[in-house]
Amino acid sequence: MAVEVINLAEREADKIMARSIQEITIEVGDLSGVEADAFESAMMLLVKDSILDKALISIIRTHGKGKCNSCNHEFEMNQRMATCPLCQAFPSEINGGREFRVLSLVIE
Amino acid sequence: MCETCGCGKPGEFSIHHPDHDHGHSHNHEPDHGHSHEHDHEHEHEHDHDHKHLQDHEHDPWHNQEHFHDHEQNNDHDHSHNHSHDQPHKRVIDLNIDILSDNNRLAQLNRRFFEGRKVLCLNLVSSPGSGKTSILEKTILALKSSHKMFVIEGDQQTILDANRIEKAGAPALQINTGSGCHLDARMVESALKKLDVEADSVLFIENVGNLVCPALFDLGEQKRVVVISVTEGDDKPLKYPYMFQSSHLCIINKSDLLPYVDFNTEETIKHARSLNPALEFLIVSAKTGEGMDLWFDWLIRQTGSVISPAET
Repeated sequence: MAVEVINLAEREADKIMARSIQEITIEVGDLSGVEADAFESAMMLLVKDSILDKALISIIRTHGKGKCNSCNHEFEMNQRMATCPLCQAFPSEINGGREFRVLSLVIE
Repeated sequence: MCETCGCGKPGEFSIHHPDHDHGHSHNHEPDHGHSHEHDHEHEHEHDHDHKHLQDHEHDPWHNQEHFHDHEQNNDHDHSHNHSHDQPHKRVIDLNIDILSDNNRLAQLNRRFFEGRKVLCLNLVSSPGSGKTSILEKTILALKSSHKMFVIEGDQQTILDANRIEKAGAPALQINTGSGCHLDARMVESALKKLDVEADSVLFIENVGNLVCPALFDLGEQKRVVVISVTEGDDKPLKYPYMFQSSHLCIINKSDLLPYVDFNTEETIKHARSLNPALEFLIVSAKTGEGMDLWFDWLIRQTGSVISPAET
């Protein structure tokens, strides 16, 4: 997946004929299935000799958000199968935290 | 490449026909393998990476912006390199889903299957739960009535593809090297070599791993997760993504139920709490118990793909 990010960055940089990438911001949701720490280490390893070699890699983590299917209460969801803290009902809809995307690049 | 565990290298996988095992597999693979294996170096570079990243972030950028530009207009010598760059610095908003590349390819695979009326199933499980045995039995039982093809995914060896060919279905082996899952690109490459006929069933037996394969759509119509009763009934809770993304859960090795502490009801309850639509079948590939239900399920699926109920 880190390679996907590097390829994506290279493609986007090519498109706009950027000479280098100074910064890349990646959003990793807590419920995305991506382990943010492991992903970050993979990035650190793999950026070498790529266009992101010297870039600042910022990883923004977004918390999971859930909405109870029964009472519509919205709450912070730490795992996918959380019960509603208000009415204890299950299941709840996942409303946020599934993101895994490149938000922006700072190019030169 | 896998975000979850960081394993695998780009382009590392290799594809083998079971027939040509020794010739092909070893020829193609070691070359690629070795050339990519410079990863060892990466390990050393690790430290530096960190430093670079941080240094660059703070020094070149912020310093330049704040100091050189404004203060040192007369001091062109020093600021020149840096200040030239700055005006070109731009922020590009992308908002691109990182899995989009895989998803796009998976979508192409899916169209290919639809066009050829191929039912494609992605079989996932932890290692040793019996995916290959189930496939062998399935092929033996249904080969007279259904055309079946198999793409096997393993890190190494063509053992599984050989087993499948022996059972009577054309198979192709993908070796992922250090990779822990199949992705849509590997399947696409395999499809170019395995001539999957129209109106057939294609089984993709993923690498044994309940973690990473969950995140990679291969273009399959249905995902089947296989667990065995020797694994413990908390599997669904431990690997929720896999159970959430599957359509059918096969609980294999039911013949061992009397000897193990496996609570089938608990397993089903846990899995359904993650994925209320998940179907379950309890089978033993060894004794054949429950396999009829699996064949029925399979035939029902082929019915909706191969001869869709359209008017």
